[in-house]
Amino acid sequence: MTVAERTDVDLGVAPPAPRRPCRRAGAARPWLLLAPALLVMGGLLLYPLLRVLALSLQDFGLRELVSGRTKWVGFDNYAELLGNADLWATVLPNTVVFAVVAVALTVVFGTLVALLLARLTPLVRGLVTTAIMVAWAMPAVTGTYVWVFVFTPGDGIAVQALDALGLLDAATANPFSNRLSFYAVAALNVVHHGFPFVALTVLAGLLTIPRELTEAAIVDGAGPWRRFWSLTFPMLRPVFAVVTVLSTIWDFKVFTQIYLMPGGDGVNRNVLTLGTWSYVESFAQNRYGLGAAIAVLLTALLLVVTVAYLRLLFRDEEL
Amino acid sequence: MRAAAKGLAVTGVLVFTLFPVYLMIVTALNGEANAGSRTLWPDEWTLDNFAYVVTEGGFGRYLTNSLTVALATVLAGALLALLAAVAVARFRFRFRTSVLVMVLIIQMVPVEALVIPLFIQARTMAMLDTLAGLVVVYLAFSLPFAIWTLRGFVAAVPVELEEAAYLDGASWGRMFRSVLLPLVAPGLVATSVFSFIVAWNEFIFALTFMSDDQNYTVAVGLRRFFGQHATDWGAVMAASTLITIPVMVFFVIAQKRLTDGLVAGAVKG
Repeated sequence: MTVAERTDVDLGVAPPAPRRPCRRAGAARPWLLLAPALLVMGGLLLYPLLRVLALSLQDFGLRELVSGRTKWVGFDNYAELLGNADLWATVLPNTVVFAVVAVALTVVFGTLVALLLARLTPLVRGLVTTAIMVAWAMPAVTGTYVWVFVFTPGDGIAVQALDALGLLDAATANPFSNRLSFYAVAALNVVHHGFPFVALTVLAGLLTIPRELTEAAIVDGAGPWRRFWSLTFPMLRPVFAVVTVLSTIWDFKVFTQIYLMPGGDGVNRNVLTLGTWSYVESFAQNRYGLGAAIAVLLTALLLVVTVAYLRLLFRDEEL
Repeated sequence: MRAAAKGLAVTGVLVFTLFPVYLMIVTALNGEANAGSRTLWPDEWTLDNFAYVVTEGGFGRYLTNSLTVALATVLAGALLALLAAVAVARFRFRFRTSVLVMVLIIQMVPVEALVIPLFIQARTMAMLDTLAGLVVVYLAFSLPFAIWTLRGFVAAVPVELEEAAYLDGASWGRMFRSVLLPLVAPGLVATSVFSFIVAWNEFIFALTFMSDDQNYTVAVGLRRFFGQHATDWGAVMAASTLITIPVMVFFVIAQKRLTDGLVAGAVKG
């Protein structure tokens, strides 16, 4: 429904003639409004993306950085990358398996918390929501340091507690040296930081579902499980799609949380991800070309995930 | 759900969410004799760790740097995002959907892919080791989300209000200031909090761009308390507490608006 239609019908004023020049100005206006934001995003997000693609086809080291010369090498960086056994045995599994597990845990736990919050009295809900906000607000850097502190070999609180339970020997165990336990700690950190977004977004969606629908479902004898899958989930599909897409994107490119854990900065090659590997190759080894190739691989992976979800999200919906 | 089970679940969630924060603050307040010792309840309470990081640890400088960068990012981001949000929420134009999809897709670009070319670019433009260099990068990072969220707020303002302003003879700019701006103010609060946090918490670019430790932001400045063989956990946690508390206060103040904004961004448009 257009603006002109409504005013004509409802008020009988606003003759169409004077609107004409306005409308021509209107064609340029959205672009004028968008221009500053598009310039910033284009210059700092899109252009660098093309640049990294170009860099991945170059042998770009310290010498090229200083001189500004370019040395094209075709697909050499990719050949080296794809021929590296570490990529298939370590880096790719670390990145993908960790992301999938972290997203699943984040979305399931976040949804359970949202369902719990929806059943609480407003006072208790406000209290728990504030606590969840506090977890969300904890910066990745400080959150990571606290979890590292908790799991410090020897005298970390968790290590001591696990020792007391007889699950490990505090004197010898180092949770960060083993790939599996390293990522278990990382997952704990990422879920703690990421579930609040899911919980609060799903809760806000839950509160928009009319009570009558839930009551009708209860009258019809639907249990909680049935109500969730037949009523809540279909109604909140867009909300679930958004939280899953964003969690997937965030967890695939988790960097700070891995990099700041002991050995995560490249010292322990068993726990490298595509992100930390790319960074270490570039800024520690000065092999920017190879680092760029790894970054391109990560970006391509994320692009596939994003496009798949976007199709799901906007399948039958106009933006 | 029975009351007992509910109470248990609530307690579990509270403990899980607050435990790291509790431990951070308790360790920061732990007396020097116990500094670094792993205890849930220190024998001796003190503010020494805070005094140390602010006076001797050089942390005051990092706080000023972070505050400068974050505020500049918030102000520029709010303006640019609002203009863009009005464009996509209020106007139907060619490539509108493409712009929206691009805004969404852009959020998936990993920082690792951007940090390499932007480092090289900043180096040639002599933007390394400057706060301005960080501001423009953080602006780009916070814009897509801000536009996406504000879009929902702008769309929620009834078009009839704008029409009424036009009929009363208001110009477009006047309408913007008097009708639209006050109504999307809650959305601006939400996106400003988000932009602030992006700038305040960012680590990789600050680590890569800043080599002079006078220019460190708080996220990078924390690293100075980690020694080669030992870590001054009392100092790390005191500094972490100083970094975290302002963000938490912001978050809790803006929580209602933030979640409303997320849903508005997700389901309206």
